[in-house]
Amino acid sequence: MSASENGSSSPRSQLPFHVFGDLLDSIIVDVASECHRIARLGLDRNLEEEEEELRLSAQARVASTSSSIEANSKNVLDIFGQTHPAIASEILECMNCGRPVVAGRFAPHLERCMGKGRKARQKATRSTTMAQSTNSNGSSPVSVFTPYSDANSIKRVANDSSCSSNSSGVEEFKVTFEEA
Amino acid sequence: MNNFLCTYPELNRDIPTSWHRQHDSPITESRVPIDLWQRVKAFSSVDTVDGPDLLMASVSTRRASSSTVAPNPRLPPPCTHLAAYHSSGGSRSLRLLQRCLRVSPLGRAEVRRHPGEVPRCASCSSVGGPRLYACLTCAAVHCPAHAPSHADAGHEIAVDVDRAELFCCACHDQVYDRDFDTAVVLAQASAAPGSARTEPTAAEEGDRKRRRVDYRLFDTDPKERQIFLRGSSPIFVHEQNVLSPTGSRLPWGVRGLNNLGNTCFLNSVLQALLHTPLLRSHFLNDRHNRFVCQQRSRRKKGGNPGEKKHATSCLACDMDAMYSAVFSGNPRPYSPAKFLYSWWQHASHLASYEQQDAHDFFITMLDRIHEDEHEWCKSLIEGGGDCCIVHKVFSGTLRSDVTCTICGYTSTTYDPCMDISLDLDYGKNSKKSAASNSHACNIDTNFFLSQNNGMSTLLGCLERFTGPEKLGSDQKLFCEHCQVKQESLKQMSITKLPLVACFHIKRFEHSTLKNMSKKIDRYVQFPFYLDMSPYLSSSILRSRCGNRLFCSADGESDVDLELASEFEIFAVITHSGNLESGHYTTFLRQNNHWYKCDDSCVTHVSENTVRASQAYMLFYGQRFLHYKASRHAIAF
Repeated sequence: MSASENGSSSPRSQLPFHVFGDLLDSIIVDVASECHRIARLGLDRNLEEEEEELRLSAQARVASTSSSIEANSKNVLDIFGQTHPAIASEILECMNCGRPVVAGRFAPHLERCMGKGRKARQKATRSTTMAQSTNSNGSSPVSVFTPYSDANSIKRVANDSSCSSNSSGVEEFKVTFEEA
Repeated sequence: MNNFLCTYPELNRDIPTSWHRQHDSPITESRVPIDLWQRVKAFSSVDTVDGPDLLMASVSTRRASSSTVAPNPRLPPPCTHLAAYHSSGGSRSLRLLQRCLRVSPLGRAEVRRHPGEVPRCASCSSVGGPRLYACLTCAAVHCPAHAPSHADAGHEIAVDVDRAELFCCACHDQVYDRDFDTAVVLAQASAAPGSARTEPTAAEEGDRKRRRVDYRLFDTDPKERQIFLRGSSPIFVHEQNVLSPTGSRLPWGVRGLNNLGNTCFLNSVLQALLHTPLLRSHFLNDRHNRFVCQQRSRRKKGGNPGEKKHATSCLACDMDAMYSAVFSGNPRPYSPAKFLYSWWQHASHLASYEQQDAHDFFITMLDRIHEDEHEWCKSLIEGGGDCCIVHKVFSGTLRSDVTCTICGYTSTTYDPCMDISLDLDYGKNSKKSAASNSHACNIDTNFFLSQNNGMSTLLGCLERFTGPEKLGSDQKLFCEHCQVKQESLKQMSITKLPLVACFHIKRFEHSTLKNMSKKIDRYVQFPFYLDMSPYLSSSILRSRCGNRLFCSADGESDVDLELASEFEIFAVITHSGNLESGHYTTFLRQNNHWYKCDDSCVTHVSENTVRASQAYMLFYGQRFLHYKASRHAIAF
């Protein structure tokens, strides 16, 4: 914007600045006019409350950064004065099979018990596809495993059984051998 | 007409006291004949209000109720010059002026004597800089530099030709006038091509016309009291659990939930729902009695009642059991095992105990309860937000307007919603700038306040949600008027507010392209008290026509809506950690105390902890409830 100071600038080169200046001024007046209307007609009535909320939040953030991070829930007392172990220790009765299960491990138990979930489903898929591949003429389009060589399929099962942490992996391995 | 509002009772006393008392006396759990409830409902839905008005005691509002005034524009008194202009026959010139109002497709009004006129200052011929004023009396146009000299007696009022705003040159201020605004609105209306709008359902229309009645507190008569006492047994409340170890009063109905194996997403949502005001009342008032429900479904399925078979999965029944357990006063954490079992009985085959998204679970759960309750009251009005308790509590209506940028044709659709999912606003905070008069704050607070312009806030997210969104040139939509695909402007607004508003901050981004998801940890500021009126359809439409006085806004000036726009927070679900291993906790508010529910462990926390937390889902309840006369004697 120092073009005006430069004596040798032509009026023509100042045109873009003028145009931009006019556009900018026009936009500013647009916004000012709208805000003026909003303020004057009382449409902006909650400004104080909103600012109060912002102030309280700002204060809260200051307070939380300066105070220490809350203790881990290991030995924290709740409002009733109780402590809680990392894994819930209450014994529950499974609605599906009737066995007693520790609360903290209820969900994984129920998952297997009801046949839901990824691991349980995979188990089912595997046994059915293995049955299919041995019963067919050898050209069945099994999507999961290639029925070319048993070695391949065994390897895959072995890989998966090493990932899963429960005993069903071992069972799958057994199934493969039997079917083969 | 009885336009009476009653204060929503304290959040821990919103059920009739004859039913459940506060925990200083034994809490009784009772089984009540269902027809009794029908009588309760009939009681509060009579069309004629006779007898004394049994108000909720002390209609005290928490804050000064300047904000209960409907947010309609209030015209300030005119300045002397404007008043003089009117009295000297100014309205005649206004009518002439109306012919000169040219309206652009998107509603912007200009003053041009003929289309294509380029106004110039009469004194200096400039095209005026930012503003040109046309004198209303003699139509002479001047730039701001020369306008004051023209402002002699009778020529003080001018109009900004580019913005159609009145200006008083003597007062050097923009002024406002009803007649002028009406003229502009009429010009806008005649310029816009007809718009398409799906009408709100007849049910909703009838809904709005219903008369408001006074709230009457339910109380039993002696005969009913006898039935309660005979049919119920007290639940022992351990004396030591009335006060916490620190001596403060224990909250009512707050109990830990055991984590059953990565089920914190489930626990966090359950905690919020267990304390959702009207939902809580519904279950605690025995509106879904699990024994009756089980009996009914057994009878439907046939077979002997004595036969032992797997209980049919009804999530509402499990919720009923959970409410009873959580509000029993037992401090040991509760295991929502049966709930999980019922959940999985009908869940898709992809259900597993792995970590899930709390919001997804919330939506699915509402859907399931709708299905369960829906069965029950099939004979009653279906749809229209009255079909089940979750719809009554959570459902609102969103309005979506798509405007063609070329011709201005607007197409409007209405959709129900159970919650509002918000994209994060990246700190372009509203027209309202941060306060500079923060005299009492220390340096640190000022630091955070000055960061306001970069901070995300719930209001900012809502502004972004209801702001006009220019759809890209690759997203052209078909315009009925132009009969071609044109670039459009889309704008959302809220037509009907729910009784409980749940806001979901979209922190988890899923990119299908990269097949990867990430979490946005950015802090989002949220208020404890929330006024939703700027996001209502009436407000949005008004702002679209330039906030003119008496903008018709499709004739929807529903006073009820505007009065019902105040909310206060009662629960916050937070997520900490990342996508793979994260943890959900819930903050609950009761009686102005905040409690953190971290699975089985419930602790008392300060307000600051909650304000500073990383919110994922926010639950707000309406501060005031209005009771309307029912169309039917029995309404759920």
